[in-house]
Amino acid sequence: MTGTSDLLLVSVDVESHVCAMAQTPGVRFADFFGSVEDGQLVIRLVWALDAEHEYRVARWPARGTGYPPLSEVTPAAFVEECEIYEQFGVSPGKGKALNRLVIPPGAEHAFPRLGEAPAREHPLPHASHYVSGDAFEFPFGPVRGVGQESMYLGLVTSGEELIDLYLLQWHKHRGIERRLGGEEVARALFVIERAEGLSAVGNSWAFLRAVEEIAEVTPHPAVDRSRGVALELERLYNHAAAIAALCQSTGLAVGQAQAEIVLEQLLRLNAAVFGHRYLFGVLAPGGTSRAADADALVTSLPPTMDTLRRLVDALWATNSFVDRLESCGIVTPAEAARLGLVGPVARASGQDIDTRRDHAFGPYAEVAVEVPVRATGDVMARMSVMVAEMEESARLALDLAGAGLGAGTVEVPPATGSALGWCESPRGESLLWVDLDGGRIRRARVRPGSVRNWRAFDDAARSRNVFTDIPIIEASFWLTVAGLAR
Amino acid sequence: MIPDRHEERLSAKLRDATHRLFGRSLHVRTVDTGSCAVCESEIRLLTAPHYDLHRLGLFFTPSPRHADLLLVTGPAIRAFDRALEKTYDAMPEPKLVVAVGTCPMGGIYQEDEFVHGQLERVLPIDVFVPGCPPSPLALIQGLLVAVGRLAEKVGAEGFTTLDEQEEAP
Ligand code: SF4
Repeated sequence: MTGTSDLLLVSVDVESHVCAMAQTPGVRFADFFGSVEDGQLVIRLVWALDAEHEYRVARWPARGTGYPPLSEVTPAAFVEECEIYEQFGVSPGKGKALNRLVIPPGAEHAFPRLGEAPAREHPLPHASHYVSGDAFEFPFGPVRGVGQESMYLGLVTSGEELIDLYLLQWHKHRGIERRLGGEEVARALFVIERAEGLSAVGNSWAFLRAVEEIAEVTPHPAVDRSRGVALELERLYNHAAAIAALCQSTGLAVGQAQAEIVLEQLLRLNAAVFGHRYLFGVLAPGGTSRAADADALVTSLPPTMDTLRRLVDALWATNSFVDRLESCGIVTPAEAARLGLVGPVARASGQDIDTRRDHAFGPYAEVAVEVPVRATGDVMARMSVMVAEMEESARLALDLAGAGLGAGTVEVPPATGSALGWCESPRGESLLWVDLDGGRIRRARVRPGSVRNWRAFDDAARSRNVFTDIPIIEASFWLTVAGLAR
Repeated sequence: MIPDRHEERLSAKLRDATHRLFGRSLHVRTVDTGSCAVCESEIRLLTAPHYDLHRLGLFFTPSPRHADLLLVTGPAIRAFDRALEKTYDAMPEPKLVVAVGTCPMGGIYQEDEFVHGQLERVLPIDVFVPGCPPSPLALIQGLLVAVGRLAEKVGAEGFTTLDEQEEAP
């Protein structure tokens, strides 16, 4: 059994609830957001109880100062605290220093937000970074390398050693959540796919699961298996791309070319099976919009996996490559738990979590999912997790196809209500909380896995690393700025 | 899938055009004005073995000052205006802008407080490559069209020869 439970709190209980939950072993902070309901701000806090196969959604009306400073007991909540302040003007108690996230400097009160603007904007995140002595701040971005997303990285360094790092992301904020308000489900799906295109299937499946729960419809099992195949193909090409990026960042041109061959083969496979290289437009409300070509999958996937295996064997045998990966960009298991990390990054740091297994949905209720876990938390562990996941994804895709794939949709009637949807995207748990009013969106909270995992990037980058390790660490996280800034 | 012969012909045309105009080197800079990260993925694949842009005499450059052509993705986020302007201004004349994908055509996001929607509002565009995302092959075709446009631009530039410069007061 998997599911969600709802919990209504009154403001005085919030602090004790948070303390109790944060101190309960096996409880993971998953999300934290606001929504305006009948002119009143309501705060929601999502906990994942992975061992109990349950998401617990606590909500309370925020009046006056809002809520106690959560991040003091659950450090993972800091980004969301900043976000709620920026979007709704409510802060976790007086005097708490918060960072600016997506509101560009200079665009003050009139900037479009989800709620009311705060009385005073946050200062720039520079504030807390005291640069002195031999250290200086090396500005990198927002325009970065070839084919890289825009983002500003402030690297505080003494020349070689990295002392600190921070990210500015407002250059990519498209106001996705605000745009979704008032939209119909079909149009919202189009936007959510493009919020973070590299996790299009993961994010949009989470969205559709929420919508379908509200409307009380269940897609046909064979159609759900097609969705599963799409999700596994998405993971496969993303991990291949990450391996190519790892080779590139370590200067291994031959390995990079080999990995890009695998990547291109997988993208062509996506196009052959589902008609789109990046699987856009495959999922539809109530099912899928296109029939999957199972023959193309069965004939083309195994030889591509063979190519991948040869590449991986060669990479593990290349000392100059392995040396750069080992002990690089470490995220300790304690840190991973503290920051609520998800996906391959969490699993490489000893967190045995995967929503396909812990909160099994759709076809995953029928098939067992093997979850690879590594303990060292370095780039090597992340690469190793990705390789193991690719094997598992290929197996799952073929198994699902073997059980029979269907296409088509069941009608999703315009409904009213709210629900939480989740999915295991290539970047980990993707959460979508949706509130519908007669089939139109009142509020949709979009929380891709990227949002959680960027939280650990600066820690990973700081841990005993030098300047040139940053691209390697970034490749091993394989996140998107689009998903972070939304 | 497009037959290989078509790709071959396309590649040969592009190679000839770049050789004629740039003596084997046209340099390309990329910039993202709010993409979903997928157009970037296709752009990165241009240098992968299946497409290998280098064999056509086209190269990516990290510096706008060396760039002849700007590949732009995304719906032109307003908060990115200054960075985009600086990148464009840093490029030497004659220069080209190729808009990549549906985003800069205004097909994903309409103009609003966050985005310009159409890149054309902030940059002069020489070639649009449609698609969400455009495939690497479509991008190569777009680059070919752009190189043709550059020929027109070079023709209109009115070069001064050394002699003329010496004569000037
Ligand atoms: S055109 Fe499509 S694929 Fe390209 S960045 Fe825009 S939404 Fe993404």
